[in-house]
Amino acid sequence: MGSLLELRNLTKNFGRLVAVSDLSLTVQKGETLGLIGPNGSGKTTTFNLIMRELKQDEGEIFFEGKEITKYPIQKRVKMGIARTYQIPRPFTEMTVAENIRVGIMPDKIISIMKMNIRDGLEREIGKSVGFKQHELSMYPYELSMGSLRRLELGRNMATNPKLLLLDEVFAGLTISEITGLSELLKEKKKEGLTFIIVSHDLRSLAPLVDRVVVVSFGEVVADGSFEEVIADERVKEAYLGKEEEA
Amino acid sequence: MKRSLIWWVICGAVLASLPIFTSAGTLRIFIVANFLAIFAMSWDILSGYTGYISFGHPFLIGIAGYTTAILTRHLGTPLYISMPFAILLTMVAGSLFFFPALRIRGTYFALVTLAFMEVTYHLLKVVKPGVTGGTRGLSGLPFVVTGAVPNYYLSLFVMLAVGIGLWVLGRSSIGTVLGAIRMDEGAVKSAGLNPTKFKLFAFTVSAMVAGIGGSFYTHYLGSISPRAMFDITFLFTILVAALVGGEHTIVGPILGAYFLTFLLEYLRPYIPGAWRFLLYSVIALVVYYFAPKGIYSIFQGLSDWVGRRMRRGEQYG
Repeated sequence: MGSLLELRNLTKNFGRLVAVSDLSLTVQKGETLGLIGPNGSGKTTTFNLIMRELKQDEGEIFFEGKEITKYPIQKRVKMGIARTYQIPRPFTEMTVAENIRVGIMPDKIISIMKMNIRDGLEREIGKSVGFKQHELSMYPYELSMGSLRRLELGRNMATNPKLLLLDEVFAGLTISEITGLSELLKEKKKEGLTFIIVSHDLRSLAPLVDRVVVVSFGEVVADGSFEEVIADERVKEAYLGKEEEA
Repeated sequence: MKRSLIWWVICGAVLASLPIFTSAGTLRIFIVANFLAIFAMSWDILSGYTGYISFGHPFLIGIAGYTTAILTRHLGTPLYISMPFAILLTMVAGSLFFFPALRIRGTYFALVTLAFMEVTYHLLKVVKPGVTGGTRGLSGLPFVVTGAVPNYYLSLFVMLAVGIGLWVLGRSSIGTVLGAIRMDEGAVKSAGLNPTKFKLFAFTVSAMVAGIGGSFYTHYLGSISPRAMFDITFLFTILVAALVGGEHTIVGPILGAYFLTFLLEYLRPYIPGAWRFLLYSVIALVVYYFAPKGIYSIFQGLSDWVGRRMRRGEQYG
């Protein structure tokens, strides 16, 4: 397995607040990486930096061995990086199928005009992420949180990603929705997709991940298997705080 | 689809046969409505679709109007050259809109576009009044056609050609992306699309339509003046036509333009002067309050209701 994504010494400050500090990370092809840490530890900021929704102060980003530090978000998406958001961001006045269709579109106006999207391709993608035929014509306001997360996943799958960044993907879901979504992610993993998953729901995350990286105050404090990092004293300290000496 | 096609054929037939049973005076109201519909559609393809609210459309319309007016009046340029040139120049001016839009949106974008209109208004009055005609503007411009009936058919043809073109564009994948920009520009980027390209495209198309409308309107009136073109009332008439008709529908602004033009005209005998605008605003607000998606949504609702009744009739009949 070769490295798919490499972050080298990424730093991002918001004024005097250090959100990400000298963060270096490598993700292998086909790997599922869990990115965990307490609130405000810099997980979402890291995703924003990978997508260039935020510009880093320092550091470089490599994808498939190529430096992409200065590439805009849409170019990164076309190269095969996609993300979901903590709070799903569907196109509210479009149906599920139309939402997915936006992900299929090429980034050139002439190509869009000439485009002959295979009829039903968006429906095929929608079904592949678990939507039933009738649900494809539904609007976001008619969907449960689980379906909204699937919708975002579908729109991402339409861009043919190689690396998928999932931000708090289990937040707000029922137990059955979590089970269904986990099965779907396992299926996509088998198909060769690489994931970085941010989640506070460690119980749901555990069976999915090959490796876990723990961040605290923007720095990596642990990196290893799920069991290893959970047992790590620095991780306990990051989540629970330091025990005061008597 | 079949049902809406029937509606369109009926509307087309009624509009085409209007000169047979209406007076020249009524036709002139229809001509004004057709031009307002073109301006409102021009606003809709930019602001209705992408959500970038423009307060500067009279600026675009004015650029086209003044360009063709100056060319024909001072240089004796024939209309078939001056009008396309005016449209092209308006498209370039449309790109000027684009630069602020790269970084700002919402109220700030609206204010920047409003500034374009105001600055042009004041500049026209003082810079080279010998060319622009200053505050009086330019008159005695050539007409494309003369008489109420030919002008009616010309304005109807231009309005329908623009309407069909924009309607097709709005229903295409490009229309979908423009709509997505309005809903969540960030999500459009994360779907792998560059919104800037699409916004530039929308701006250029909008400017082109404004240019077409502006140049034909100027040569219909035979005159142009800064007060008539760069007036806040003119701006709000365009906006209200699009909003009351139903934004990001293309058809809505046509309905809104007809509704407002006839409303103003029919209020004329009862309420004199500017007081008409007060009542007109109240009626527009009431319509907008009860049908926030515009008059078009009322028609759509009616059409769906008729369709359901007909299907039920077939089922039990």
